[in-house]
Amino acid sequence: MKEIIRITIGLTVACLVAALVMGSVFIITDKAKKHNEHVNVQQTVLGLLGYTKSRPAPSDLKLYTIYRYLLENGDAKTLGYMVPVEKGDGVGYDLIVVDLDGQFVNRFTLPITPNEAAEAQERTTALRTILKPPGVFGFADETIIARLGAERLAYLIPGKCQGFKTFIDVMLALDQSFKIVGLEIMEHEEDPGLGGEIEQDYFKNQFKGKSLENVKKIKVIKEPLPEEYKKYLETKKSNAEPLPKGVIDTIRSKYQDQDIYALTGATISSNAVTQGVKGIIRKFAYRITILDNIIASQHIPVAF
Amino acid sequence: MVSNGILNENPIFRLALSMCPAVGISTTVMNGIMLGIAVLFVQVFSSCTIAAIKDYIHPRIRIPTYTLTIATWVTVIDLVLAAYMPAAYKEMGIFVKLIVAFAIITMRLEMFACKNSVPSSFWDGIGMGLGFMFGMMALGFVRELLGMGTILGYDVLGFRPLLFFVLPAAGFFCVGIMMAMFNYMELVYNRKKRG
Repeated sequence: MKEIIRITIGLTVACLVAALVMGSVFIITDKAKKHNEHVNVQQTVLGLLGYTKSRPAPSDLKLYTIYRYLLENGDAKTLGYMVPVEKGDGVGYDLIVVDLDGQFVNRFTLPITPNEAAEAQERTTALRTILKPPGVFGFADETIIARLGAERLAYLIPGKCQGFKTFIDVMLALDQSFKIVGLEIMEHEEDPGLGGEIEQDYFKNQFKGKSLENVKKIKVIKEPLPEEYKKYLETKKSNAEPLPKGVIDTIRSKYQDQDIYALTGATISSNAVTQGVKGIIRKFAYRITILDNIIASQHIPVAF
Repeated sequence: MVSNGILNENPIFRLALSMCPAVGISTTVMNGIMLGIAVLFVQVFSSCTIAAIKDYIHPRIRIPTYTLTIATWVTVIDLVLAAYMPAAYKEMGIFVKLIVAFAIITMRLEMFACKNSVPSSFWDGIGMGLGFMFGMMALGFVRELLGMGTILGYDVLGFRPLLFFVLPAAGFFCVGIMMAMFNYMELVYNRKKRG
């Protein structure tokens, strides 16, 4: 009997100590971790828009983020878009509530600045002032809109798709007409050397330049990647010699409507990314059109 | 004691422990180095912790205690890497979480750390970690060169001899061959010693 008690106490103490250590380390490192993630997203965004260290972004490039929330009050389900709006002295946030058929429901002003809005905790607090219990709300996703001067340069959409192993986090860049400007793989747990090759230029860049119509029909084909296409896809690599301009244009138009060539030994991962991209673009095009219609009809002074 | 871990009791080739990462993850030299460093840290910290509290652990709950210690240290290293070394974390993030399941660490705690003092355990941990890293690097070197024609990412051969070497099956072959080489070297060394 005494043995059992001793063992139980021993195990309990060990578990408590372990939990304490892990918990404190988590709290200490959390801020630095979040900061790193922000920096990573910033760099990916700028990279997708074509800006690098040697070609920095112009000062009138502005990034605005729209946060989408799912709202529930009893049986009523609606969507809430936190959009940045022009205010007299800068940019603030409004909440536009839309029902599931795309009809405008309501609009509220939120007591939050863009910097604060980057933190999920701040957003929840601000939303709570408008959406009182028993209403509940959950974060759905966010979209970044890049504006250069008075034009919308690109939409940057972080998305998640089901991969071969677990999930694949991607960031998609679309231009005004929903043509793909670029694709970046943010995070994944695929096998290095097989599914992990989705990070390579010769796979990611296949999506570049595909229009919305293309993407709707696109599928993955299991054929070897043609050498000339591969050279074109990897023109950004430092040790590759640049192709002449005429050749680039010919290759680009030749493979414009081509399906995606699967990765050797990683058909499922290739499919996962392709299907994920298709889904993201379709849903986004649908939602942003509804949002733009509402913004126009309600004359909301959005910052983008 | 350090050289013991690298040669005589090399975890991969002589103790035949932790074959999983040796076979599965040693596809490139860089992978080997990164994982080796992570394992080194976990091994050293865990060994020292267990050596320090060995008198308070009830014999019947040894293994759960080892697992808890290893899990705690792996989590700590994972969080610290993610927060303060994001570039390195991007490369080896997936691997660090797997260290919890490595046999080498638990076995070493059981065979050595729970019976020896903290300083000895510290050096033994270093030895084992270095031995593991050396083994992974050697395997990674062979597999990367023959499988992808590169070393540390630099294109050495300019073509891919046999992609087969990147697959796990080749890992088994390479580990087996290297084990044989180690045994042979020991045989020769002992023969020389005897004169």
